[in-house]
Amino acid sequence: MSGAVLASVTSFPGAGAGAPVAPSAPAATVRRSLSARSVPRTVRTDPPAQVVATPGPVLLSGVLDGPSLEAHRDRFGQLPQLDLDTVLATVGAGAVVGRGGAGFPFARKLAAAATGRRRAVVVINLAEGEPASAKDTALALVAPHQILDGAEVVARALRTTEVHIVTPLERPAVGDAIAAALSERAAQPGRRDRSQPRWRMRAAEPGFVSGQARAVLELLAGRPGLPVTAWKPEAMSGLDGRPTLLSNAETWAQVAAVLRMGALGYAAHGTDTEPGTTLLTLPHRRDADTAVVLEAAYGTPWVDVLGPDVEQPVLLGGFHGTWADAGVLAEATVSREELRARGLGLGAGVVLPMRADQCPVAVTSEIVDYLAKASARRCGPCLNGLPALAEEMRLVALGETSASWTRIGELVGLVDKRGACAHPDGTARLVRSLLTTFDDEVALHLRGGCSR
Amino acid sequence: MTWTMRVDWPSCAARGLCAELLPERIHLDEWGFPVVEGTVTPDLLGLAKAAATACPHRALRLVSAG
Ligand code: SF4
Ligand code: SF4
Repeated sequence: MSGAVLASVTSFPGAGAGAPVAPSAPAATVRRSLSARSVPRTVRTDPPAQVVATPGPVLLSGVLDGPSLEAHRDRFGQLPQLDLDTVLATVGAGAVVGRGGAGFPFARKLAAAATGRRRAVVVINLAEGEPASAKDTALALVAPHQILDGAEVVARALRTTEVHIVTPLERPAVGDAIAAALSERAAQPGRRDRSQPRWRMRAAEPGFVSGQARAVLELLAGRPGLPVTAWKPEAMSGLDGRPTLLSNAETWAQVAAVLRMGALGYAAHGTDTEPGTTLLTLPHRRDADTAVVLEAAYGTPWVDVLGPDVEQPVLLGGFHGTWADAGVLAEATVSREELRARGLGLGAGVVLPMRADQCPVAVTSEIVDYLAKASARRCGPCLNGLPALAEEMRLVALGETSASWTRIGELVGLVDKRGACAHPDGTARLVRSLLTTFDDEVALHLRGGCSR
Repeated sequence: MTWTMRVDWPSCAARGLCAELLPERIHLDEWGFPVVEGTVTPDLLGLAKAAATACPHRALRLVSAG
């Protein structure tokens, strides 16, 4: 697989240009035929067929070197050997937060996993269920050893050798890339000591929720990979009740970076309050099958990321995300704090700028319809509420005056926080954000109109 | 210590006893699934425990609200 990786350079802002880095999955765009009363589909709900990674300041600094272990060690040096206290202090000072969407401080999870009575388990989650996201895919393809380094240093500090890697079945190139990287590491001389991680790979079934933390742990426990109710955080009680440190690929790579560079070196990127960088996934401007992954230091102006698209409405954080109105990002920078102050969020870093002719109400309706079908259909409120919400949103998008603001609000309230996983919460967040950001546009639809 | 009721959603089969046993905190939504409101105050602790025990699917738990 690694031989197929063609490095590509695009200048930052890179969302528009660049050659493919690697195919991530066979092209499988299914366009549904449109019935007279359905909302036309404009949102891609399959994983990207190709991913372009553009060189970036930290995680993506070695894109042009290729993914080999040799190139990785040449650029980044040997794996540091650090004790638990040093790891905790450094990731704490580097303010590394989880990049799967929830944004929980990594150091707090690590501290909890370290204080458990039983030996901890480390899990690398590469099962990116969100079709619009490709950052973990890109890392696996262009920088797999950064991910593995992060997990290995932390596993050693925790004195555990059990490291599980979960890859997405619907993006087979990810599993191939990781397998190739692991065999390179296994072939290293002098690496046969007993403290070396015993890596175990597992593929997660396709599905929007199959990458959810508890679904991944169920899969690893030999049960169907579906979300279950978590009575305790997985860092306290995860796989087989053991303390489990589960993070997505980007988080592990960020951990590797801060441990390698030290908190000060890491803080050379980003801002005083938000050190470091974040990966973002954008759609390619001209090729709908391609996703562009880029790395932005916190504090980078959005205009540098989005170019002229910064003037458009932007869906931030993907299908479970929030809507930034046209122009809101024009003066803003890539910052989780800044977004939070505006009621927005970066989630897992998916950034979807709209075209001028796209109606945010129609796009939201399409996404809610997709999300309703993506429910694992196990929890009553999600199973009943999401299709009802999707139906109401379809009526709004079509300008049916029978739809009502009250009913949308009621359904949003009935799904929010009422499931084993956060899938209904994320869907509620998206719809609430539409109602807040585009209140005028929604009101216009409820009167039978649409401005676009 | 304050308490609240949590539902194990994949196990809950709807239209159960919980809303009858603890109407002070639980009512059923339009599909028959429990809607839990607020925390369980000390005066309701006994009733809440009874509701959790009575759930035929062991889907209802009394948990710390902290
Ligand atoms: S909340 Fe929805 S998506 Fe999550 S486990 Fe329950 S039914 Fe599945
Ligand atoms: S009694 Fe149990 S299964 Fe029945 S509705 Fe209440 S929580 Fe659900």
